[in-house]
Amino acid sequence: MRGVLLSPSFPRKRESSSESALDSRFRGNDGFSCRLVMLLALLLAGCGQGDDRTRIYLQRFFGECGAEFGASTDVARAEGECGIMTALINRFNAQNPDVRVDVNVVAWPGYPQLTAQMAARDPSDLVTMHSGVISDYAAKGLLEPVGPYLEQAGIGAGSFTEASRLGVTIGGRLYGLPWDTHGGLFHVNTALFARAGLMRGGKPVLPTSPGELIAQARQFQARTGKPYLIQSNVGDPAYAARNQYTYMIALGAPLFPDSKHIRLATPEGLRVATFFRRINAERLGTRNMDTPAAIAAFVNGEGGIYPTGTWMLGSFQKEATTPGRPLYRSYAVFPYPRLWGEHVEFVSGHAWVVPSRERSAKQKEAIGRFFRFMAAHNFDWARTGHIPAFAAVLEDPRFKALPHRADIAPLGELGRPLPSHVRRQSAIEGLVGEEMAASATGQKPVDQALRDAERRVNELLGEVN
Amino acid sequence: MERGRLTPLGWAALILGALLMIAPLLWTILLSLKDNAELVGNSGAALHGPYTAENYLAIFGNGSTMRWLLNSTIVALGTTAGVLVLASLAGYGFARLDFPFRRTLFVIVLLGLAVPSQAIILPQHQLFAWLHLHNSYPGLILPGLIGPFGVFFMTTYMRGIPRELDEAAKLDGASRWTIFWKVILPLTVPAQSTLAVFTFLGSWNDYWWPLISATHSDMYTLTVGLAAAQMNYAQTSGLGFLMAQAVFASIPIFIVYIVFQKQIVSAMAGTAVR
Repeated sequence: MRGVLLSPSFPRKRESSSESALDSRFRGNDGFSCRLVMLLALLLAGCGQGDDRTRIYLQRFFGECGAEFGASTDVARAEGECGIMTALINRFNAQNPDVRVDVNVVAWPGYPQLTAQMAARDPSDLVTMHSGVISDYAAKGLLEPVGPYLEQAGIGAGSFTEASRLGVTIGGRLYGLPWDTHGGLFHVNTALFARAGLMRGGKPVLPTSPGELIAQARQFQARTGKPYLIQSNVGDPAYAARNQYTYMIALGAPLFPDSKHIRLATPEGLRVATFFRRINAERLGTRNMDTPAAIAAFVNGEGGIYPTGTWMLGSFQKEATTPGRPLYRSYAVFPYPRLWGEHVEFVSGHAWVVPSRERSAKQKEAIGRFFRFMAAHNFDWARTGHIPAFAAVLEDPRFKALPHRADIAPLGELGRPLPSHVRRQSAIEGLVGEEMAASATGQKPVDQALRDAERRVNELLGEVN
Repeated sequence: MERGRLTPLGWAALILGALLMIAPLLWTILLSLKDNAELVGNSGAALHGPYTAENYLAIFGNGSTMRWLLNSTIVALGTTAGVLVLASLAGYGFARLDFPFRRTLFVIVLLGLAVPSQAIILPQHQLFAWLHLHNSYPGLILPGLIGPFGVFFMTTYMRGIPRELDEAAKLDGASRWTIFWKVILPLTVPAQSTLAVFTFLGSWNDYWWPLISATHSDMYTLTVGLAAAQMNYAQTSGLGFLMAQAVFASIPIFIVYIVFQKQIVSAMAGTAVR
């Protein structure tokens, strides 16, 4: 039982050690009632004494699923991001009786709350963070480099995949335990591909050049009467930004030559943006769809390829194993195909970071132990559809035995996050995606959209301290 | 409007308006009763069975939901009670008492109506951090007590009460407090009800301040807790659950509307202030 009056849930060390100013004011103004209140609070707080476990506070997104997995420690039977995460933490607590991990689930992505906690000098000990956000917090000294924790856990930086290691490395220092890599995938309706004559040896034939993609798309459309690409160009800036980033990086374009500038209005940028404009101009892709509409279109078999993230793999696989559904036994998935230059792809990732704050030696030791536990269970997380952060898991027969994982595993090495010196990556993605969607759908001339995106991003970066 | 005077066209317009108003609510309820996986492919599936209560069971199965409900209730009731007490006292002071800088202070209160809460969020957050009040009920309630609207509302209402009542009570030997407590306050019940309803609804629906002040899940209010419970892609893969949360969070508000319908309507019509 815990105290419920002033700070009922998280009796943090620094909160409990000092009396709040307001308490004093209340006591001075209304002696009897406040004494009564304080007595009650002390009594309730006293009920929580006797727990000498080391407490660490963990903050995460991925939702709340206590109804289904609240008591589960059986990680293998848990499903989905929320279920697997919940079961993992339950299991850590069960296996480490001297440590208590208290979980705080935040509304996705949780950064407003994290920032508020940091402003109040009361952040959690472990936080889930997208790799693209780490630079913003690390630049202000709000995150601890995790080298000592990794060392304690016996985790070497060499054990991470290239993509996941790059995602948490800033200035040569690691600022998080990488947990996965996620990026775009070509989710394919193989039944429609077969009707279009685009299957070879049981696998879909994906294009290897822009010209080939256009030709295949025309063939697909002619034979199936359906669009080749399902696109979410409305209210989903990540979609257009992902396409532009991926193929500009593939072309070797220096997207961010320094921390204050982006370069989009370049010949490479023009080639990529013009290509996606052409797809829309020739009506080879769906139009006017937001993310839910695009997902619904794909699961209803209304198009050949839906380029979206790793996170949809589980949902689509479920459709593919449900008899009677349009995707039943008709689903395959691959990383973005190489269309130009090098076969690489823009990716992001999830990581465990440690916000800067005072901690006891026991708490630090518990964090190291948590890192070791999570690293050992990276395979379990890979069941969500994300690419594991550890290279060894990519080679694990259990991972390869999961549906489609052998096909998407290359993403771990193909993946390229934005350079670590780039801050405000989420906001930048919004600006670039907005302009590129306007370009692709013909609302803006391609060159103007590239110039506008470049100007808006540079203005934003110019304001970053 | 007299019922007899309504033409068929008027009735048709009213019915059409009512349908337009109620359609989103019905749509939300129907979606909340559907299996999430079924809605991924076609949200139109909400228009036919089979229906399920699994989304509501998931809400109640989450051990934190009742805690969030309790938190919201405490915060909304605490804020409402505090606003009523403070606004009544301040309103009486501004309406009946003569003290230095009364007009100036009242203007300052009115200026508070023009300051959006977002404009003061940073210093407010810092202040509460300095006082160690985040993740506490006082931390969630106190900002809501700063209610210039309530002060303005009660001042205006009390100014409309004839001063002769005060004078008669004073002749009978009543103290200033007795006049306030036994003469003026009972006459302000309609205004108090209106203010209470609006304050309760505002506090119950508040998302912004609890989001950044209640950063530990045991102190979440229902709005923040339900948002946190959503999966990342709630609008696509968990639409039914999302709608069930919306319905669940609306139930107390719905009850308040039903119970205080008269006060709300009169407040909306501007008749609460004489």
